[in-house]
Amino acid sequence: MPDNRQGSGVIDFPHRQSAHCESGVAANLLTWKGLEITEAMAFGIGSGLFFGYLPFIRLNGLPLVTYRAAPGNILKQLEKISGITMDQKKFRDTNQAMAELDAALEQGIPVGLQTGVFWLPYFPRALRFHFNAHNLVVYGKEGDEYLISDPVFPAPVRCPAKDLARARFASGALAPKGKMYSLRSVPEQLDYNRHIPEAIGSACRMMRSSPFPLIGVKGIRFLAGRLEKWPGRLGRERADLHLGHVVRMQEEIGTGGGGFRYMYVAFLQESGERLQDPVVHDCAALLTEAGDTWRQFGVMAARICKNRAQPDDTYPAMAETIRNCAQLEEKVFQELNHWVKQQGQSKAQVTR
Amino acid sequence: MEQQTPPTRENGITDGVDIVGYLVNDEGNYELISGPGWQPVNIVNRQAWQEIEKQIEVSKDHVDSGRVSCLHYYMTINQMNIGLLAGYTNQSRLRVRLHLIPFFFKRLGPNTLKKYGDLFQVSTDDLKNGRIKAPIYDAGQQAGQRRD
Repeated sequence: MPDNRQGSGVIDFPHRQSAHCESGVAANLLTWKGLEITEAMAFGIGSGLFFGYLPFIRLNGLPLVTYRAAPGNILKQLEKISGITMDQKKFRDTNQAMAELDAALEQGIPVGLQTGVFWLPYFPRALRFHFNAHNLVVYGKEGDEYLISDPVFPAPVRCPAKDLARARFASGALAPKGKMYSLRSVPEQLDYNRHIPEAIGSACRMMRSSPFPLIGVKGIRFLAGRLEKWPGRLGRERADLHLGHVVRMQEEIGTGGGGFRYMYVAFLQESGERLQDPVVHDCAALLTEAGDTWRQFGVMAARICKNRAQPDDTYPAMAETIRNCAQLEEKVFQELNHWVKQQGQSKAQVTR
Repeated sequence: MEQQTPPTRENGITDGVDIVGYLVNDEGNYELISGPGWQPVNIVNRQAWQEIEKQIEVSKDHVDSGRVSCLHYYMTINQMNIGLLAGYTNQSRLRVRLHLIPFFFKRLGPNTLKKYGDLFQVSTDDLKNGRIKAPIYDAGQQAGQRRD
């Protein structure tokens, strides 16, 4: 285990910029603890990919569209891996939460925090919305400022204690309640032959066989159906707002592009290499196509939002593009599901 | 983050901070590549802010015409709603709803005013006199403007 203490509670923490905050924090913490892992691998093994269109949850009055699993899911999945143990805590009292953070830093433990974005002064102004499921690592304190490795930023940043305390106790949907977590132990190596098929299997179940019509491939088709009707139901202006919201959820900072699809492709490629398996590699190419199609939709939507629509940019055309995405993703996860089953069978034969 | 006066979002949503995304390299493999991000997202982000600015204008008009208290303006400019405001100030939604009405707002005690002042990072004096200041994320960048 590394002993990286440097004087007054500043830990030598390797900051690596990543595309998504939760997988980035997970990968950085695991790497610090001695288990070298890429962000894409952490995202994949944590079963980060998902789709859900949940109109009964509203963000600023607009329906929630999510391209990834619920916040906290990646960490929860990683914790299930044998050998990885994690300390996790939530608080009621701000002072106690900050005191515990200081105590952990004193012991030389980098601490992961869930925070709200709105209260973090180092965030770009245009991204300061009330979004409460951001993750970052605190690795030291100097005077009244915390040293923070925020994975979506190119370099470590600093944040005054007062603002960090506010961010940890942000109110609203997904309130962090001061949640902090740190790794207690990690295995020396991950058994990729086991964990990769398991994680892909769980992603397949989410995307293909959810009983709810708003989730997975069914959810994508549902969104397409609704989107088509938006101009008629909501009027042009509200429809455009809804449309812009979908694209923001798909592409804004923290997604890695194409609604997390590109990050999952990176995971599939890495998995294909590790397992020496051509099937996974081929699926990666197919999912790339799905990501590209999502971006096609995004470009069309952005043109409409900017009032620069070309003759082909219509709501039915966009719905059709989204249906293409659904079809491509259905195919990808069908093939992957087949592959996972084969893996299971061949493993059973070996143990027999 | 760069300090800009007046703050603009013309040069992308990240304020010049490079972010990373997954892109294909020459060998056809995905790699984390640093850059200003995918451009169309700037358009939809700006659209979201325009909507917020529109709401702020409406709120300003309502405050001026005396239909709501200036608390409504502070709530809107910080993208909050009644639920969020109630959560942050530890009060019931009904109470907050009442405080948005000028009649009740004028009769607020110093403790309640302080709660709101601390949250919006303005003085109770500003709140009482209905002075309109910048939102929290602009504090230090934009001086407060008097309404009159």
